[in-house]
Amino acid sequence: MAQVHLRDVVKKYGAIQVVHGIDLEIQDNEFVVLVGPSGCGKSTTLRMIAGLEDISGGEITIGDRVVNDLPPRHRNISMVFQNYALYPHMTVRENLGFSLKIAKRPQDEIDRAVDEAAGILSLAEYLDRKPGELSGGQRQRVAMGRAIVRHPEVFLFDEPLSNLDAKLRTQMRTEIKKLHQKVKSTIVYVTHDQVEAMTLADRIVIMRDGHIEQVGTPLDVFESPANTFVATFIGSPPMNLLRGRITGDTISLTDGPLISLPPQFASNVADGQDVILGFRADNLMPVGHAMPMEGAYAEFKMTVNLSEPLGTETLLFGALAGKEVQAKMLNPRPLQNGEQLQFQLDLTRCHLFDAQTEQSLR
Amino acid sequence: MNENLQHRIRKYLLKALHFVALFIAMAIICVPGLWVVLNSFRPTVEIMAKPPVWIPNELNLDNYRAMFGAVGEGGVPVLQYFTNSLIVSVTSTLIAILVGMAGGYAFARYSFKGKAGIFIGLMLTRAVPGVSLSLPLFIVMAKTGLIDTHLGLILVYVALNVPFTIWLIDGFFRQVPIDLAEAAEIDGCTRWQAFWKVEFPVARAGVASAGIFAFLTSWNEYALASQLTRSTFSKTMPVGLRDFTSEFTINWGGMCALAVLMIIPALILTFIVQKHLIAGLTFGGVKG
Amino acid sequence: MSRFRPPVWFVLLLPAIIILAAVVLIPLILSFYSSFTPYKLTRPDTLYKWIGTFNYEKAIKSTHFWAAFGRTVLLLTIALNLEMLMGLGLALLVNKVTYGQRALRTIMMFPMMFSPVLVGFQFKFIFNDNVGLVNNALQSLGLTDKAIPWLVDGQLAFIAILTAEMWSATSVFAILILAGLFAVPRDPIEAAKVDGCTPWQSFRHITLPYIMPFIYIALAIRSLDVARAYDIVQIMTNGGPARRTELLWTLIGRTGYIDAKMGYANAMGYISIFLAIFFTVYFFRKLNAARSELGMAG
Repeated sequence: MAQVHLRDVVKKYGAIQVVHGIDLEIQDNEFVVLVGPSGCGKSTTLRMIAGLEDISGGEITIGDRVVNDLPPRHRNISMVFQNYALYPHMTVRENLGFSLKIAKRPQDEIDRAVDEAAGILSLAEYLDRKPGELSGGQRQRVAMGRAIVRHPEVFLFDEPLSNLDAKLRTQMRTEIKKLHQKVKSTIVYVTHDQVEAMTLADRIVIMRDGHIEQVGTPLDVFESPANTFVATFIGSPPMNLLRGRITGDTISLTDGPLISLPPQFASNVADGQDVILGFRADNLMPVGHAMPMEGAYAEFKMTVNLSEPLGTETLLFGALAGKEVQAKMLNPRPLQNGEQLQFQLDLTRCHLFDAQTEQSLR
Repeated sequence: MNENLQHRIRKYLLKALHFVALFIAMAIICVPGLWVVLNSFRPTVEIMAKPPVWIPNELNLDNYRAMFGAVGEGGVPVLQYFTNSLIVSVTSTLIAILVGMAGGYAFARYSFKGKAGIFIGLMLTRAVPGVSLSLPLFIVMAKTGLIDTHLGLILVYVALNVPFTIWLIDGFFRQVPIDLAEAAEIDGCTRWQAFWKVEFPVARAGVASAGIFAFLTSWNEYALASQLTRSTFSKTMPVGLRDFTSEFTINWGGMCALAVLMIIPALILTFIVQKHLIAGLTFGGVKG
Repeated sequence: MSRFRPPVWFVLLLPAIIILAAVVLIPLILSFYSSFTPYKLTRPDTLYKWIGTFNYEKAIKSTHFWAAFGRTVLLLTIALNLEMLMGLGLALLVNKVTYGQRALRTIMMFPMMFSPVLVGFQFKFIFNDNVGLVNNALQSLGLTDKAIPWLVDGQLAFIAILTAEMWSATSVFAILILAGLFAVPRDPIEAAKVDGCTPWQSFRHITLPYIMPFIYIALAIRSLDVARAYDIVQIMTNGGPARRTELLWTLIGRTGYIDAKMGYANAMGYISIFLAIFFTVYFFRKLNAARSELGMAG
């Protein structure tokens, strides 16, 4: 049983506070991804769980044990580092078996564990090489192998894929997901890449400036972002955000058209309230070039300044309410720049945020 | 919680131990030097006092005054020695830098047969103990009339410094990317211009620190100088220091004052180059 | 028309080669020759009398020589090892400091600026039986009321010389090893911590292999000028009293200049040169081995 609980965890460097009282409960066998822009405190949080950084306040428990002051070796964790952190003077075999050798396990047990890990990660033919003779992807696999030989209670991943090229990254992402299904352990994974977070996580923790902005399943955070930050951070392209004011049962967009109030927010807003309307490109489509919309929708004209064909769909860049807005077209046809089209906005998939607090009004 | 408390206590204990050990180490490093500086300001009576005087009653500049006086303390012509040291060290450093720069550049930029062998050969000349070298040098210099002259000592110091200067400068030029010179040549420079206008300015700090290192070696050298200089006109300061001990009663205060005079230039120069010096030594050595 | 043009590298190296040949190589050849003659400074004609390996045989049969040789090797071995260990310790202590490290590093370089003569003089003063700091301190603390003859007793003098030598050279090791510690990447150390290493184990298995090349550089640089210890000893005891602290180098100096037996001194000089070259080459080879271990070669 290896739940990880963080209670009001704080990290300060002198007078500078980088993590502001984080609360997080991670279940046994859960795959949790900490995601956020650089400097948001996600790596620091991970390193505090690992015991590589002291905590300045609060409490961390792994299993049933409080581990606040325990050194990493007493925490029964293993970690995969961004730069692999392989021991350059040891062969792959020695790298993999190092932790067991330190723990003074018998040699035959070490050999068995190393062979097993090498099998899982298809490293068998490289066992007698040194890290310097391996490619980036192979080093990454050795780093993961080193983590799994010990069968720890918790795996920690610190941006493990950020040094790989795009193709390898996709491939390793799948391998990590498979690995989790095979080894059945609690995983805490840090990344700044929201695609990685979405594809890997059971639950995503979105962080900014040392605070947790939202915790939820990938679909949760995608479909009901708690605030404008999460709305723009998760999903690609980022959510369109337009300022406006509630007037009766419409939203009057600043320097833009009137749009009827999305029905799901009707009871949550007051007349005259300043709001931010959010919608994704997938929910704004030109009439006649997509499936016709059902339910509540708004219609308006918009000039298309630029289009990016992506194959199955085309991304359109237009201007609405003085801001650049992205839309999608499913049945593509060649477009002229500056062409004006009639658009439909799916109101049931829209989001409303308070203009001051930037929190969701749902 | 008990487990956590244990580890926390251990952490604090280790911290305290670390601090104490550091303090003792620094004290051992500093005390001998400070002891000399302190005694250079104390009158002989107090230095000799039994039981020892720990807190100085009287500090004065008598020793320095005597040192810079007309004939110097006890007839030791300190100023003359200082001038000798300066002439010999500065001249030999300049020559060593020129010679070393040419050699270092050759090692950094050209590949040729037997490069490693020549490099080790040059380094090994530095390994010859000063005393062992001083014997034949003494004979040669006596025959050529170079003994007891500035020129003789300068030549010796150039040879002493060239291997190490080459090592350091080689390291620094290797840090200058070769593309830089190539770019300059494409821009229309000759190889010679490319060196002086592009590569040299980039490696200048390194060359300067190699120079200071050579200066310090010459400034501090004793084994060779003690045999190759005989008279007031060529003796350097390290040799001059012995003048104080040749009498039966040693003038500790005067010696301390001369020691301080010797340290000050070395002190200033070392502080200037400390960063480059370490970088140069380790770069040249580790990156091969 | 084809005039011979030497390669550029050769032209660039030529000044260095000429000066080293003139000041080091030629005198060494001369001294090699004279080591086969009974050359005495006072009688120049003895330079032309060939006596074969007589001087070497004489040295090998001389108890004074072997005593000095043994003492030199002993001093070097103890000094280099202790300096390396203490330098390593000092570097680790300073490396752990986060605040004020620059100042500590500067203090650490302090002994490097002292010329060996100065170190010798300084410790001659400190270990002086009458007015020295050590005896003064011991007496004031009431640990002894005698004047301990630090520089007169053979063993005590050896300790005093060793102290001086270590004071002057430990910081060379510390500085270079510290540079090595800075170059150790943080990740493998943290990986080792997570892998279950105690601080000692992560030092032993990870940090040490990383800084080994730096330790060998320090040893190689130091062994290049171990003979600087001559300056210290010459000032502190000059091999005396009664040869109790005689090292190879002081023996050579005395034989050559005081006794004027140049041929004999040169023969012993050659032995000392080979000793120095042996140490240097040995550490350079170790350096290369440690480098290829880490995959840094090439």
